[in-house]
Amino acid sequence: MTNQNLSEQLDLMVDAVLAGRGAASRLGDKKLAEFATIASDLRDLPRADFKARLRADLERRTAMATSAKAAPEVRATATPYLSVRGASAAIEFYKRAFGATEITRLVQPDGRIGHAEIDISGARIMLADEFPEIGFKSPESLGGSPVNIHLDVSDVDAVARRAVAAGATVVRPVQDQFYGDRSGQIRDPFGYAWTISTRKETLTTEEMQRRIDAMAQKESEGAPESRTFIREGFHSVTPYLIVPGAAQLIDFMKTAYGAEERFRVNLPGKETIMHAEVKIGDSILELAEATAQFSATPASLVLRVSDVDTIYNRAIEAGATPLHPVADMDYGARGASVKDDSGNSWHIFTPNPGNTLFESFRSVTPQLNPLRAPVVIEFLRKAFGAEELDRAQSPDGVVHHARVRIGDSIIGMGEAHGPYQPMPCTLHLYVPDADAAYERALAAGAKSIQPVADQPYGDRSGGVTDPFGNRWFLATHLRDVAIPE
Amino acid sequence: MKAVKQRPDERLLIEAAQKDPARFAELYDDNFERVYAFVARRVYVRADAEDLTAEVFHQALAKLGQFEWRGVPFVAWLYRIASNAIADRWKRAAREQGTQLVDDPPDISGGANPEESERRARMFRQVAELPDDQRRVIEMRFAEEKSIREIARDLHRTNGAIKQLQFRALTSLRAQLKTKANKKASEKPSRKSGGRND
Repeated sequence: MTNQNLSEQLDLMVDAVLAGRGAASRLGDKKLAEFATIASDLRDLPRADFKARLRADLERRTAMATSAKAAPEVRATATPYLSVRGASAAIEFYKRAFGATEITRLVQPDGRIGHAEIDISGARIMLADEFPEIGFKSPESLGGSPVNIHLDVSDVDAVARRAVAAGATVVRPVQDQFYGDRSGQIRDPFGYAWTISTRKETLTTEEMQRRIDAMAQKESEGAPESRTFIREGFHSVTPYLIVPGAAQLIDFMKTAYGAEERFRVNLPGKETIMHAEVKIGDSILELAEATAQFSATPASLVLRVSDVDTIYNRAIEAGATPLHPVADMDYGARGASVKDDSGNSWHIFTPNPGNTLFESFRSVTPQLNPLRAPVVIEFLRKAFGAEELDRAQSPDGVVHHARVRIGDSIIGMGEAHGPYQPMPCTLHLYVPDADAAYERALAAGAKSIQPVADQPYGDRSGGVTDPFGNRWFLATHLRDVAIPE
Repeated sequence: MKAVKQRPDERLLIEAAQKDPARFAELYDDNFERVYAFVARRVYVRADAEDLTAEVFHQALAKLGQFEWRGVPFVAWLYRIASNAIADRWKRAAREQGTQLVDDPPDISGGANPEESERRARMFRQVAELPDDQRRVIEMRFAEEKSIREIARDLHRTNGAIKQLQFRALTSLRAQLKTKANKKASEKPSRKSGGRND
């Protein structure tokens, strides 16, 4: 049974339980019976804000009880008090964006909110509508706010995504910070800036200072190549075509796509390629002959060209097998697909004039055809900080198209259908900290191929296989090494 | 009562709260779900469950000075307050209607099944630990009694996506119950075999 079916069946059962009809017994399934027990228990689930409201109520009482006794020691707290144009809408926004619960709301006779309190996972925020007549002005009246609210959450990426979906704008994207947090900054629709943050590692002040000094040191050395973790000419993501007939594939790419060979080393004493690099347009591809250690992983590649008709014909003449002849596509492009002799699929396209949809695509963009895209996206997010750019999903939940960004690169995705079945591939990923990425990938469910180590060619890299069979070489470029001719 | 998990430092917490009522919040956080689960199963309307839960904690706070530590978990005391509060409510309802209740009031004896309240309290806590989007769906579906369509509209997602989130959440809750159950099951034989080796 598919997840789709199960989720439908489960929902019918939940409906029945909620309506007090009990679980439909025709299911006669032990698993569903267990779900029915859970659903029945959940009917008594307390409302999310009730626990917080009762707690606040008890706290008020205990405060009174305490203050009545003796002059107690007051624990000082500082609570942000936001002046907002449209406090009611702001409360709704904070609920959607941060999962806030409303604690208090006092309304003036003129309808303005005179005082409100919300709770964000235990953090109290006070807010009210602006009252310009008494100098209580909102950022919108003042043209901005210099105060920045720091919000600690357990999953900064999820919260930032939700905030943006709820209407916030990104000021600084979420990324790992030297002081051990992963954080980013957004601006809410009411003019307040929020730094959303998740602690990743706890550092001493000395350690933070050391990192600042190290960064300043690097900065002052002024060696530009030492500042980047990506080898020159490369981007964050590079497809690594480990295939049978790598040498022939290079010839094919030269003939069909005008590829330029940058580098080639053969296996010692053999005519087969150990490692090669070619460039098509603005993109580098790496190649190696498949071996017993590294089995063949041909890839599915999206190739952006200026004239798909010509390139398609050249690819066929150079020996590729047609998968889909040139046609006008409904997404505003002319496209075609071929398969080369090494097993790679090439989806060649030329965007129609004026179509800006494909601006983020380089000459070559890897494409994944997983069975379920959301789990892959979730893995990429956890392991590599990937950001989902868009997702086209049919009402039945099938993701036809999605794009994620890792670093400066895009990976395309469409759930497997028809001839486009999962093709686990090998990708070379440059990251700021290969060791950290390797650990995060393992934590997210990947398996190690080789631990991270310094490589003779100037990178520090390691390898993992993700839960969907894709191989990832995770690398941080340390220094340029002269390549012997 | 052995099923009721007891914090090793519960006694210290109670003594701290007896000295400083501000510390009562910790006892509240530890026991809220249990009391709510206990009460909710014994009344029929959510508003009553909330009223009674609030009443239990208000009373507990007021009477905390009288609580004497005898090694019984704090929650047992809370259950007793809850039983009395529920019984009072039934009596009052009967008086107001001027009739004898036709049905017996629901079983409100404190010792009836604390294990069940414990199990359900644990589930409520597990709901709180679900990923945010799954948690919201479960809260809206069960606690706020919204339809899939209403939730989809509120969260700007498709009906299918909401059903999937519901599915994932329930699957995860079930898996956690299973691990709990398996742990219990596997503990026993190992203890026995350990005994033989001795």
